[in-house]
Amino acid sequence: MNAKARSIERKATGISILVALQALACAFFLADLVGDVLADGIGLHLAIEGMAAIALLVAVVLGSLQVRSLIAAARRDETAVAAAQGAMSELIALRFAEWQLTAAEADVALFALKGCDITEIAALRGSAAGTVRAQLTRVYAKAGVDSQSALIALFLEELIALPDQGPSAPRA
Amino acid sequence: MTATTTPARRRWDPIVRITHWSIALAVLANALLTEEGSGPHIWVGYGLAAILALRLLWGLVGPAEARFAAFWPSPRKAFAHLRDIRAGTVTPHASHNPLGALMVYAIWVCLLTIIATGITMAGPPPWDGAEREAEHRSAVVSGESHEEASEEGDSEEEGEEGLLGEIHETAANLLYLLILLHLAGVIFETRRSGKQVLVAMAPFGR
Repeated sequence: MNAKARSIERKATGISILVALQALACAFFLADLVGDVLADGIGLHLAIEGMAAIALLVAVVLGSLQVRSLIAAARRDETAVAAAQGAMSELIALRFAEWQLTAAEADVALFALKGCDITEIAALRGSAAGTVRAQLTRVYAKAGVDSQSALIALFLEELIALPDQGPSAPRA
Repeated sequence: MTATTTPARRRWDPIVRITHWSIALAVLANALLTEEGSGPHIWVGYGLAAILALRLLWGLVGPAEARFAAFWPSPRKAFAHLRDIRAGTVTPHASHNPLGALMVYAIWVCLLTIIATGITMAGPPPWDGAEREAEHRSAVVSGESHEEASEEGDSEEEGEEGLLGEIHETAANLLYLLILLHLAGVIFETRRSGKQVLVAMAPFGR
């Protein structure tokens, strides 16, 4: 589960707790109201109390509807990210094969795509910084770019579909 | 390094989990802690009724797998499930598994019976002491001539209330039996199809 979906789910949990407490309060109000009406008959005070209880009931229903939409949002987010992840890793595998990267180069290139710098990659792979630098240089050469950001841009560019990029695209 | 995103089977949504564990706690409290027919017992019962009402509402408006439609009781599916068990195959179910669904409805019916008889006997929750409760009680149980001395009720409360008490108690005992069966079912299903069964209903974590 990704971070965004998780935070939405946390929010849903919070509201769920609130809804449960409201349901409790509502039941006690309604039970008390019924008791009072049976004992004393209905009066202005009890009528108002009744409306308050009904308002609480509405709040419970609306709260649960909100929880439902939050859960749905979290699941949409999850599936969208999963789909994008799938598409991205497919694209990466395709390009790496196309550029005929060696296994080590592919590994280094993947870390570079994730935004690691040379020292980080060296630490992660347990190799010398010089080695990583040389591998990265070969990756750039094979990919036909000259920097890490250009390498990343190569992938992003393909994933971001611009709607109808005519000569005067941004027309406000 | 790339996180393998096998879509982990989902947990129950927060409302299902909150209602499940609140009801479990309420049943435990009223079975073990509170004195039968006492103020706290009645209060806890009303709380349980509210939470159960929320779960039933959730069965209408909740996400797909929490709705009644997703686990409608079906003998046909239950038998298919039994065949699965016998054959040793594990079919994933999006909601409660068919036998579990039967258990859910059995427990709900039991709880509703307990709540209905409980409310009829006790009347509205006691806010300020026993006298008011007694007053309510005589108002609620209409057509019954209550003697003044409802303090030492047991021997006098025959007839309707005695019957209700019987039903209340029998349903409660049946509920305990169902809970034991439920636990056995959970243990069995966990051994059969994995820890996910437990994780899905776990109150906290991840």
